[in-house]
Amino acid sequence: MSDLSRRQFLGRAAAGTAGLAGILAAKTPPAVAQQREISYLCWNNFAPASDKKLAEIGQRFAKDTGIKIKIDHIAHPQQAAKYASEVQSQAGHDLIEMRMHFPWLYETQLVEVSDLVAELEKKYGKALSSAQETANVRGVWRAVPQYHTFFVGSYREDLFKKAGLKVPDTWEDLYTVGKELKKMGHPVGIPISQNYDTISTAGPVLWSLGGMEIDRDGKTVRISSPATEQMIEWYKKMFRDCMEPEVLSWTDASNNDTLNAGKAGWIHNPISAYIVARNRKMVTADGINHHRSLAGPHGRHETDVPRHIGIWKFSKNVEPAKEWIRYLLAKKDVYDEYIMSGDAFNLPVYASLLDHPVLKTDPKFAALKQEGVQFHAYGWPAPPSDKVQRITNEFILPNMIAKAVTGTPTKEAIAWAEKEMKRIISG
Amino acid sequence: MAVGSVRVGPVVPRPGLRVWELLDHERFLGPAFVTPALLLITLLVAYPFCMALYFAMSNAFIGRPSHFIGLRNFVGLWESDAFRQTFQNAFVFTGASVALKLVLGMTLALLLNQQLWFKRMIRGAVLLPWVIPTALSTLGWWWMFNSLYSVVNWTGLALGLMDPPGPNWLGQKYYAMTAVVTVNVWRGLPFFAITILAGLVSIPRELYEAAEADGAGPVARFWHVTLPMLKPVLAIVVLFSTIFTFSDFNIVYVLTHGGPINSTHLFATLARQVGLESGQIGQGAAISLYLFPVLMLVVWAQLKFVRRQVY
Repeated sequence: MSDLSRRQFLGRAAAGTAGLAGILAAKTPPAVAQQREISYLCWNNFAPASDKKLAEIGQRFAKDTGIKIKIDHIAHPQQAAKYASEVQSQAGHDLIEMRMHFPWLYETQLVEVSDLVAELEKKYGKALSSAQETANVRGVWRAVPQYHTFFVGSYREDLFKKAGLKVPDTWEDLYTVGKELKKMGHPVGIPISQNYDTISTAGPVLWSLGGMEIDRDGKTVRISSPATEQMIEWYKKMFRDCMEPEVLSWTDASNNDTLNAGKAGWIHNPISAYIVARNRKMVTADGINHHRSLAGPHGRHETDVPRHIGIWKFSKNVEPAKEWIRYLLAKKDVYDEYIMSGDAFNLPVYASLLDHPVLKTDPKFAALKQEGVQFHAYGWPAPPSDKVQRITNEFILPNMIAKAVTGTPTKEAIAWAEKEMKRIISG
Repeated sequence: MAVGSVRVGPVVPRPGLRVWELLDHERFLGPAFVTPALLLITLLVAYPFCMALYFAMSNAFIGRPSHFIGLRNFVGLWESDAFRQTFQNAFVFTGASVALKLVLGMTLALLLNQQLWFKRMIRGAVLLPWVIPTALSTLGWWWMFNSLYSVVNWTGLALGLMDPPGPNWLGQKYYAMTAVVTVNVWRGLPFFAITILAGLVSIPRELYEAAEADGAGPVARFWHVTLPMLKPVLAIVVLFSTIFTFSDFNIVYVLTHGGPINSTHLFATLARQVGLESGQIGQGAAISLYLFPVLMLVVWAQLKFVRRQVY
């Protein structure tokens, strides 16, 4: 720089400024800077190894295609706020990981990806019911089903064997063994608080008794029914005889914590508790096993957490973004590698991949064979909508149960929930 | 021109100097200094506030076109059980927290005003709760109230103050409110204590000496000297704390998420739930602005009181 005279410096600065102004006005970077780059926002997976694998696959993708990918992660409670701000400002990432109803919530903001899903279904078979319900919005795929995580019974097999308890198959069976477990000092751990795990158990119990919150028309509130009364009576006796009052304050992580701490004898959750116990070599790891989620007189229904990949409409890189989805999901070896890295926490969502090799990596994953389970998103059979989302987010189902188990008469608690749901539906 | 000659006639200013000369005048210099601050306030405060007002009076939903609906959001909120509960919670939470912070803050300030060993260290330590990021310290409290690992219950049981298993701090309505108030008081106490201490230090010693000469005891000195002299400081502290406490978010969000059964929701946490998580930006904005007129009234009344005390 010492050779640069003041006049030369000023001249170059002026030229640079003019050039930059030109680029900004044209909104197109010069050829030298036109390297394709996409950005992808996803959650901090509860199976962290799969996030590492994703980064590794991203590097290979860049090498193979010449498209650079920047992968950012965010804690799942922050997703809604982050997505809302990206949509409001019409700026942010190109691709986003979508959970549950998100494709319905952001329907107008997402690129149609039916072509991609058709390719994947041709290769792997139909997408599972929960993926259909949540990512296919009024016949149009707004996000590509990526994987799902579902709830099973996680129990202390060692305690069951010691007490000669039968592994439950129905919610009623759970009450029978739960009483014994509580007497042994190892209560059942089902949250009854303002969190999503509470809905993930309450939904399947209600559905397996033939009940629902909203009808399939998405408008008629059906919470006031004999099935709901039965569900509440079941919760009341479980709370009284099989559980501890602490479940009223639980977060999404509490049931895992209590199982791994050696307190709970049974919880309803994805297999994350076992994975954590096994990977951290906790003393409870050997004793934990899983069984399929429980049934009722109206079948075996299961809450599911389907995850998809969506592309924002405001993205300027739609085609490269689609290339990434194809690379990650449609290349069988890459998709397999990705699924294997998730320790069976993330499972494929396509029909012909249900018996995935990941289930054979640990004998305790056997219960994850998904036969005979009907997967649904929250609010089923009502189609997802902003109103169903609001009913979910206001925790009306958990609060109805919490009211009932803490002394509000059953009918009064149901009437409260009905009034609140009607308010939201008609609003 | 000869050396030493005198120039006659009007002085014509050189054009290059004109701006500097103008800036010598307070009339121009003042606005020049204030303009950047005004621009910042407009961008960072006025614009978002106007946007919030617009959203609150519209049916805005994330990413969809919105329409003006007047005050319908504000009226409609009363139909929501969660909102009515939140409204009540906000007053209980703020009332209890500010009252406790005032009483405890005054006590702490009086203690800190005494001759103490390690005075500076203790005064510094008092500020700690205020310095640690709220979300982090609240996580610590969450662990202390946690049903599985509660340190509070463990200590209570060990000291024989509680019957096993101890209170379900975050799972029962009144205990949960007690927990969030406790954390807010712990967090806000240093602000009260240090500000009141600053007020105490500024009270002239002669007033106490005169009161003492008149035979006033410690209580009489507190009521007739300390308290009247502290009134403006107390009014300001209470004013700020009332506003901050009404709009608190972190403590409830980390400790209870508004539960159990909405019994600890505050305007900010409910606004997040409705506005961001459910996408109803219009209603979310209405919730967060609900108390704006009331708080404006409180600010106006308090400031009027302070002015009367000072002048």
